[in-house]
Amino acid sequence: MEVLLRQFKNPIFAILIACAVVAGFFEEPEQSIAILAMIAISVILGFYNEYKAEEIVKNLQENVSIKAIVTREGKASQIDSRLLVPGDIVSLYVGDIVPADMRIIECNDLQTDEATFTGESFPVEKVSRSLDLENPMPQQLTNYLFMGTVVVHGTGRGAIVSTGKNTGMGAISKSLTRAHPETEFQRGVKQYGTMLLTLTLALTITIFALNTAVGHPLIDSLLFSLAIAVGLVPELMPAIVTISLAQGARRMAKVQVIVKRLVSIEDFGNMDVLCTDKTGTLTEGRIALKDTYPLGREKNQKILTYSLLCNDAILGEKIVGNPMDVAVWEYSIKNGIRNSLSAYTKVDEIPFDYQKRMLSIVVRKDGEHILISKGAPESIFSKCEYAEVSGKIKKISTVMKAVNTKFLNLSELGYRILAVACRPIDVKTSYSAEDETNLTLLGFLIFTDSPKKDANEAVSRLNDMGVDVKILTGDNELVARTICNEIKIPVKRVVCGSDLIQMSWTEIRKVVEETTIFARITPEQKLDIIKALKANGHVVGFMGDGVNDAPALYEADVGISVDTSVDVSKEAADIVLLEKDLLVLADGINEGRKIFSNTIKYILMGTSSNFGNMFSAAAASVFLPFLPMLPMQILFMNLFYDISNMTLPTDNVDEEYVRHPRHWDIGFVRKYTLFFGPFSSLYDFLTYGIMLFVFGASAPLFQSGWFVESFWTEVLVIFVIRTKRIPFFTSRPGKWLALLTLSCVALGTILPFTILGGFLGFTPLPAEYWVLLILMVATYLLLVDAGKVFFYKICKF
Amino acid sequence: MPYPELFAWWAISISSSIVFLTLVSVYLYVNSSRRRRAESGRETPNMITLGRNFIFVFVLIGLLFFYIISIRIGSILVFAVGNIAVEAILVAYLIRNKTEAS
Repeated sequence: MEVLLRQFKNPIFAILIACAVVAGFFEEPEQSIAILAMIAISVILGFYNEYKAEEIVKNLQENVSIKAIVTREGKASQIDSRLLVPGDIVSLYVGDIVPADMRIIECNDLQTDEATFTGESFPVEKVSRSLDLENPMPQQLTNYLFMGTVVVHGTGRGAIVSTGKNTGMGAISKSLTRAHPETEFQRGVKQYGTMLLTLTLALTITIFALNTAVGHPLIDSLLFSLAIAVGLVPELMPAIVTISLAQGARRMAKVQVIVKRLVSIEDFGNMDVLCTDKTGTLTEGRIALKDTYPLGREKNQKILTYSLLCNDAILGEKIVGNPMDVAVWEYSIKNGIRNSLSAYTKVDEIPFDYQKRMLSIVVRKDGEHILISKGAPESIFSKCEYAEVSGKIKKISTVMKAVNTKFLNLSELGYRILAVACRPIDVKTSYSAEDETNLTLLGFLIFTDSPKKDANEAVSRLNDMGVDVKILTGDNELVARTICNEIKIPVKRVVCGSDLIQMSWTEIRKVVEETTIFARITPEQKLDIIKALKANGHVVGFMGDGVNDAPALYEADVGISVDTSVDVSKEAADIVLLEKDLLVLADGINEGRKIFSNTIKYILMGTSSNFGNMFSAAAASVFLPFLPMLPMQILFMNLFYDISNMTLPTDNVDEEYVRHPRHWDIGFVRKYTLFFGPFSSLYDFLTYGIMLFVFGASAPLFQSGWFVESFWTEVLVIFVIRTKRIPFFTSRPGKWLALLTLSCVALGTILPFTILGGFLGFTPLPAEYWVLLILMVATYLLLVDAGKVFFYKICKF
Repeated sequence: MPYPELFAWWAISISSSIVFLTLVSVYLYVNSSRRRRAESGRETPNMITLGRNFIFVFVLIGLLFFYIISIRIGSILVFAVGNIAVEAILVAYLIRNKTEAS
C-alpha cells in the first residue's frame, strides 16, 4: 500500500491530473480520459517495479541476520535473534544490539547506549538488583535492557520479558538506525533534478507565453505547454533507478554481497578509496594461538593457565566469543591443558574497553586472590612494576629493554601479541580498573593470522579497478608492514595514530593521500581519515567489523561489514559481505559500476533526445498554424518511450565503463544535453519540412508523421548512446533491451493505422514517407554516432 | 510548394539548430583544448589539425545546405539519393575515427 501511495507523490502526476482536469473543464473528454489512462498505466508500472524491487531487497536482507547467545536448558548456543522468546536467557557483550526487552540477571560494568530509545546521549550504567520505583520511566529502569540499544561496555545476562512488537522499541516504532549522510549518487540525482526543473519551468513558461502571443487558443496553449513539461520529465526514472538497483542487488547477492541500502550501490561501484582493516581481508582472519612466550628460557605454564582464566569465551557446542580468547581455548583443548583450571574460582572481572585495551579478572586459589590481566603489550607494560624471568621476579626496568626487543622482534614477524601479567591482590567485594597496577609481567601469547593466498591478487585487482586500498589498523605499524610485505603490497607511507593526533586538519588531508597504512589508530581517528578523504573529493568505502568501526561505517560513502561481525557494525553498514574477502568485494564493485553505467545511460537519453524533441515542438508550435503534436499524443509518446527503457537495467555494459570508478558529473550531463539535444531537433525540423513542403500535410498527417519520426529517433538512439564503441558490431545491447526497444518501435509504427491511433488523432502515412523516414533515421543515427566520436574526443567521462 | 509562407520560418529553425550545434562544438573544443594545453603544455594546433578536428562540423554545415535545397526542390528522389551519399560519408568518417580510437 505504501509503495502504491508513493507513486502518487510524484509531482508529475499532479501536472498530469491538472492537465486532465483542464481538458475535462474545457469539454475535451477524450483528452481527459487519455491523460487519466496514462496516469493509471504509469502508476501500475511504477508500483509493479518498485514493489518487486522492495521484495528483492527484503529477501536479500533476510540473509543478514543478527545472532544472539542464548542459554536454554543450561546449554549456551548462538541463534538468530528473531527466534528468541520470552523467558530465554541471553548473554550480552560489547557491541551487541540488545535483541529484546529483558530483565538483567547479572552484569559486570554493563553500560548501554540508549540514544535510539530514550534519547539519552550518555551511556547508561546497568544493575542487576531490583529497584523500588513507582510508575518508573524507561530511563529509570536501570535493571532492564531495551531492544535496539547497544552494549558499549561490560558484559551481562538477562531474561527476555518481551520481543518484537511487544517491546518498548516496537511500541514507539523508533528506527534503529541514524540517518546516513547523503551519498554522492543522491547528491548527483538532486543536482540533476534541479537542472531538469529549471529547464522545464523555463521552457514551459516560454512556450505558453509564445503560443498565446501568436494567437493559439488559451486552452490549447496551456495543455500543450503542460504536455511539453510532462514530456521533459522522466516520470519513470524513480522506478527505473529502483529496479536497476534492486536487480543489481540480486546479482550482487550471487557474489556473496548483500546490499542493505540500495542507494549505496552506485557509490559502491564508484568508490576510489577503500579503507579496511587487515584481519580477514589481507589475512585469513582465523586467529590461532601459536605458542606462549616466556620472558626467560624456561616455559612458564602460568601464561596459558592465566590466559584461560582471564578469558571471555563461552564454551558450548562451539566456543564463541572474542577470537583471541577462542584461540586460547582451542589451543589448550588441543594440547590437553584444560584440567589445571579446577583449582581456581573466579571472583570478579574488570571488563575490556578500547581505551585501556586490557581485560582483568580476579580469581581465588587456596584462599588467596590473584588479579590477572591480559591485553595489548604496551598497555600491560605501563601497568607492570615487575617481570617474572625464569621463575625469578625482577624489577621491570631492569629487563624492559630485552622485553621490548623481544616484543618488537615478534611483531616484525607479523605475529599478534598479547601480554599476560598478574599480582596478588587483597580480598575486596569488588574490583575496578584502578586495581590494574603494580603487575608482574609473565610473558606473551603469540597469535598468528596468516596472509591470505589471494590477498595480493585481490589488492592488485582493486588497484587495477582504480581503487586505492588503505589499511586502517589498531595493530602496531610493524605487524601491518610485515603483512603488507608478505603479500607484496607496495607501502607508500606508514602513519601512526600518535603522529596523526599532532597534525592539523590541512596536514591530515595531505597525509591521507600519501599513506598506505594507518597503524595504532583510534575509532575517532578512523573517522577523521574518512572525513579527510571525502573532503579531498574521494568516494570512500570503509570495511570494518568491530563495534568501534560503527561511526566510520556511518560516515563513509559506503560502509561495508561482514556477516560475522558485531551487530552494531552490521546495522551501520550499507553493504554486508557474506564472506570477508576482497575478491568478493571486487566482484561487487564491478556490479555497482554496471548499475551506475545503466542509470547514467537513462539520464543521458532523457536529457538529450527528449530535450531535443521538446525544443523542436516548442519552436514549431510558434510558427505552425496548428499544434505540431496534440498534448495527449506527446503524453502517449512519453509513456511509450519510458516503457521502452524499462529493460535498460539489464543492458550489457562495455568493459571500459567498469574499468575505473566514475563520478557524478552534472557538468558532463549538461554538456551532453547541449551537444546531443540539437541532433534530435535537427531531424524534427527536417520532418516538419518533409511533411509541410513535400507532402503538404494537414494537421493529423503532420502530427502522425512527426510522432513516428520522433518516436523512432528517440527510442532507437539508445543503441548509439549506450556505448562509446560501434553499436552492434563491437558492443551488443542486452537482449531484453533490444527486444523491448524494437517491439516498442514496431508498435509506434503501426499505431497511426489502428483504432487507438484514430482515437489519439493520428492518420495513416503515405508509403513514400516510410522510405524517407528509414533513410532519415539511418542518417540521424550515423550522425549521432559521428557526433559521439567528436564529443568523446573532447569530453572525458 | 505547399505552405510557402512557412518556408522562411522553417529554414531559420533548422539553421538555428545547426548553428547552435556548431557553436556548442566550438565551445566544447576550445574549452577542452585550453584545458589540455594547460595540462600538457602543448602548443596551439595548426590550421590543418584544426580543420581535421572540425570535419564533423563541416559535415553538419554541408548537411544543412543539402536539406534546405532538397526540401526547397521538393524532390523525394534528390532527398533519398542525397541522404544515401551523406550516410556513405558518415560511415567513412566513423570507420576512420573508430579505427584511430581502437
